[in-house]
Formats: sequence, structure tokens, C-alpha cells
Amino acid sequence: MNLSLRLRKFPLWSSVWFVIGILYFFMPLYATLDFSLRMERDKISLKAYQVAFSDGRFLDTFLTSNILAVATIIASVILIVPTAYWIRLRVPEARRIVEFITLMPFVIPAIILVFGLIRVYSTPFKIPFTDIVFLEALTTFEIGTDVLMVAGYMVLALPYMYRSVDTGMRTVDVRTLTEAAQSLGASWVTIMWRVILPNLRSALLSGALLTFAIVVGEVVLASFLGVDAFGPYLFLLGQHRAYEPAALSFIAFLLTWGAMGIIQLVTGEQGQAAGAH
Amino acid sequence: MAYLKLSNISKVYGSGKDQTLAVQDFNLDVQQGEFISFLGPSGCGKTTTLRMVGGFEIPTTGSITLDSNDITNKAPNQRNVGMVFQSYALFPNMTVAGNIGFGLQVRKEKRDAIKQRVEEMLELIQLKQYGDRYPYQLSGGQQQRVALARALAIRPQVLLLDEPLSALDAKIRVDLRQEIRRIQQRLGITTIYVTHDQEEALSISDRIVVMSHGLMEQTGTPFDIYNYPTTDFVAKFVGQINLIRIDVVDMTKGLVKVGSQTITVGDKEKQLRSMKHLAIRPEEITAGHKEGNNNLHGKVYNVNYLGAIIRLGVDVDGVRVSIDVFNQRNMKIPKEGDVFEFNFPVEACWLL
Repeated sequence: MNLSLRLRKFPLWSSVWFVIGILYFFMPLYATLDFSLRMERDKISLKAYQVAFSDGRFLDTFLTSNILAVATIIASVILIVPTAYWIRLRVPEARRIVEFITLMPFVIPAIILVFGLIRVYSTPFKIPFTDIVFLEALTTFEIGTDVLMVAGYMVLALPYMYRSVDTGMRTVDVRTLTEAAQSLGASWVTIMWRVILPNLRSALLSGALLTFAIVVGEVVLASFLGVDAFGPYLFLLGQHRAYEPAALSFIAFLLTWGAMGIIQLVTGEQGQAAGAH
Repeated sequence: MAYLKLSNISKVYGSGKDQTLAVQDFNLDVQQGEFISFLGPSGCGKTTTLRMVGGFEIPTTGSITLDSNDITNKAPNQRNVGMVFQSYALFPNMTVAGNIGFGLQVRKEKRDAIKQRVEEMLELIQLKQYGDRYPYQLSGGQQQRVALARALAIRPQVLLLDEPLSALDAKIRVDLRQEIRRIQQRLGITTIYVTHDQEEALSISDRIVVMSHGLMEQTGTPFDIYNYPTTDFVAKFVGQINLIRIDVVDMTKGLVKVGSQTITVGDKEKQLRSMKHLAIRPEEITAGHKEGNNNLHGKVYNVNYLGAIIRLGVDVDGVRVSIDVFNQRNMKIPKEGDVFEFNFPVEACWLL
């Protein structure tokens, strides 16, 4: 290949912007990594990582956030997949309204959501016109608070999960696939389980990973509902320590990249399958 | 009694002022093993009618019976009707064998029976080596064959095909439509085929239902539909046709004028009273003069070379006539402006 062809393949300005982009993204990351390795004076070491991991609260809060994240993902899938599916199949005219609703978490801050939740669920549920308590206030016991947390996280993750699922459904033409399965005698459960969900694999995975990232890093909801989650822990750590938060941030970067790599792998495989349609 | 019977079917979408009548007063008796095509332009209601047979739409009025059972309000998964879609609709997450066996798995048939049936189907569609492939690894034609096998694997009582060849290129369409007909005849399965392609409908059907604006225009064999259209729409929609404006000269003798030239339409006194157009297919017209036939001449205004035939546009005193001439290597192709003489038998023309 001669020089002019090579230059045409990598035009000057594209290369310049590419390098600027790389620097923009990698310089802070490098700075964080470098800072996290300098806990010990005049020495490069993994001390910050060692200290961060040896703190018992790190593991506890991380585990709590992980459990909440998994619960949020499962509940979101159960709620959103049938909803998006039904809208595509039977009420396409409702799509704009639902899309608007799913965008609400971008407009309404989490602080309003959490105050609303506390306001409504911190008093016992009584049977109307009587004093009979139907259900104790959800905020007064642990499971109740966890349920509120998951419900709140579901709202926060709604835009990402709904969009992922909806886009996934568009790429595989769920309507025709559903009709094909119906004509072959399949019930709704079979269609959902064997046709729709497997073909939404990559969409669900990307939605799930975004949800995971939101839940693990979320501070407001957990702080106000008094749950020892990873977000508030990281926030507190950042206020009192210098090197450990940097170490944990770098770990978070790696985890995100790992997750994106998984999405890429799975999407790559399924992209081919979807392309067949 | 007909095997599949559609009685007084109509389908209305919307309500009030936004009401759309997609299908109206549709009646059809289909015999077992028959191959019926619904032919018509986009929006004529052919797919809606097919979808009502499949259970994907419920008729607003009327009933559908299959083998004497009323299936009008039955869900699609309770009808035992196989359907092939224009977009193939193969399940991307399953292999070819998985797709074909899906309906049988849903019916909870035994593993060995499913395997055997899948193999039978793969042999039928001549894709025996492709069982382990995924849909994206197949060409469009192969995917549609798999979709056909999948629909047939469940041994449906009726096979429905919704414009199955529309997404394929011309050569594959011709091959595959012959394949569909061969398989249909071999299995003797009652089939309804929706298409807007007249050639497709004429070449594979036992009977054709021509539809327009939700109405059934004419039902008949391909020969009848082509040669004896009963409405203007059918005459114009199926095949090429010349509709020539005529002025009656002598009603009893059947003499009419095309431009300033007089020809005869035979003993059609009654029809001449109401019908003002002479209909004739381009291929019925021959170049030159012939005694006993109707002879006309005019100026060539258009020459359209189509390979096997050459389609000439001839202006007969302001009346435009389309004529098909068979291509021959040694022939002299008329040019625009040439005077062209042509003839056609009296019995080849009819009035509309």
C-alpha cells in the first residue's frame, strides 16, 4: 500500500481528534491510578488497595449493593419486558406516553423520589375508614426498606432498562416472531420464555449492566433510607480519606470495562443472529 | 361441504368517522387440497382475510369453518393452521432443525418423533445438510424454505402463505414458487397464498380470488381469470390489456369505429348498448393484414424492447393500442413514426 493510500485511510484531522479523545479519557484515569499507588511516601505500592479491601465495611456495603442490584434487575425485567412487549404488540399508540414516563427520572431528582417514598411508606397502611392496620410502615423494618430501595432503584434505572429492551424488541421484530410462534401452537408463556427472552439477551444484558452501575454507585436513596450501601460508603470514604477512594474508583473503572467487554462479546454473537432477520 | 368456508366475512378497523372497511362481504368455499391465491393490489384486504383465517384478526362479522368446526373466534395457537410470513420470521436463536421442530416440541411430541419429522422436512425442502445452521447463515431463499418446512412440520390443516416470495430476487422467486407448488401437490395440503404478483398467482393456483378495495372482484381458475375477466378491474389488473374506446356504427351487425376505422365485434348487440370499450390482450394482435379478421393500422409512437417480445405502442387515429410482437433475430423492428398494420380475430375481443 503506498503512502497516499495510507494517508487516505487515516486522514490527518481524524487522527488528531482521535488522539485528543484518547488523552481526554485516559489522562484522568492514569492520574487516578498513579495517585492510588502513592499512598506510601516516595514509593509505588498497592497499599491503598490493601487498606480499602481490608476494611470490613467495604465488603459488607459492596455485598448489600450487589444484592440490591440483582433484585432490581430481576424486578425490572419482570416489569419491563412484558410491558414493552405488550406495547409493541397490542398498544403501539401508547409507546410515546410510556417513553415519556420512562424519561421522568431524568427530570425529577432522586431526592424528590426518596422524600415521596418516605412520606408515603413511613406510616402504617390502614384499611380505609377503619383503624385496622393492614401493613406496618415499610420503613420500620429491614425487608420493607429493602423493598423500597429496590422500587426506587427500578424507577432510577427505568430509562436505561426500558430503552434497551425496546430497542432489542425492534431489532428482532417481536410481532412477526410472536405470530409465527402462535401459528405453531405456542402459548404466551412459551413465546416469552423460548422466543422473546432469548432474542433479547444482549438488550437485557446491557440494560442489566447499566442498572447494576446505577445501583452500586447510588448515594441519595440509600443515605435517606438509612441503608449501608456501597454508594454512601464510597461517599464517606471520599470525605475522610484520599488514596483509598482513588483505588476504589480505579477498580470501578475496570469493572465497568469488564462489563462492557461482556456486552460486546454477547452483542457480537447475537448481532449476527439478529442480522439474519 | 367445503373444507374451509368463509361466510359473509367483513373486517372493520377503527370506529366512528375513522372507520375503515378492510374486507366486506367475503364468501369463499375452499376444497380440501386446493391451492387458492388471493390476488390484488396493496390495501385490497387480501392479507387481512388471510390473517382472519390464521386467527391473527377476528372478523367483525361472518364466520370461518374448518373441516366443519367453527374457528372464527379461536386463538391462532388453537387452529392447527401453518403460516409462512414475508419476512421469514425464523427464530434467530434456534438452528434450522430447532425452528422446524419448534411446533412439535410445543405439542410435546416425543424426541424421536420430532427428530424424524425434522429430517423428513429437511429432505422435502432439499436442505438436508443445513439442520445445524442458524438462520443468519442461510440465504433468503433457504430461509423461506425453512419457514415453509416449519409451517408444514406440524401437519396443519391449512397452509397460509403471506407474500412469501416478495423479499426474494426474481430468479429465486420463480424457482421457489415452483417448489412451493410441488410440495403442496405432494402433500395435498389445502393452501391459501397471498400475492400482488399476477404471474405468481396464475402459475401456481388452482383458483384465484381477485380482490380490490376489500371486495372480492372475481373467483375462478387462472384460465378464466385471464381470459374471461368479469370486471374492468380484473381485466386491467391481471395481465396487459388494451381498453379501446369505440363508437357504435351498427348495433345489430356489431359494427364499431376505432378512430375512423370500422371493425366488427361480432354478435354483441346487448352489450353494445351499455359497454363502450373494446378489450383485447396485446398478444392476440398480429402484425400485417388478414382477411376475415379485424384489420387496423396506425402510427408507431413507442417501441419497448422486452427480450422475448417487443411491445409496440400504435396510435390509431388518436386511439392508443399496445401490441406484443415475438422477437426474432432476423426481424425488422418497427421504428417510431412507421405506419403499422395489424389484425386480430373477432372472437379475441370482448366488451367492457
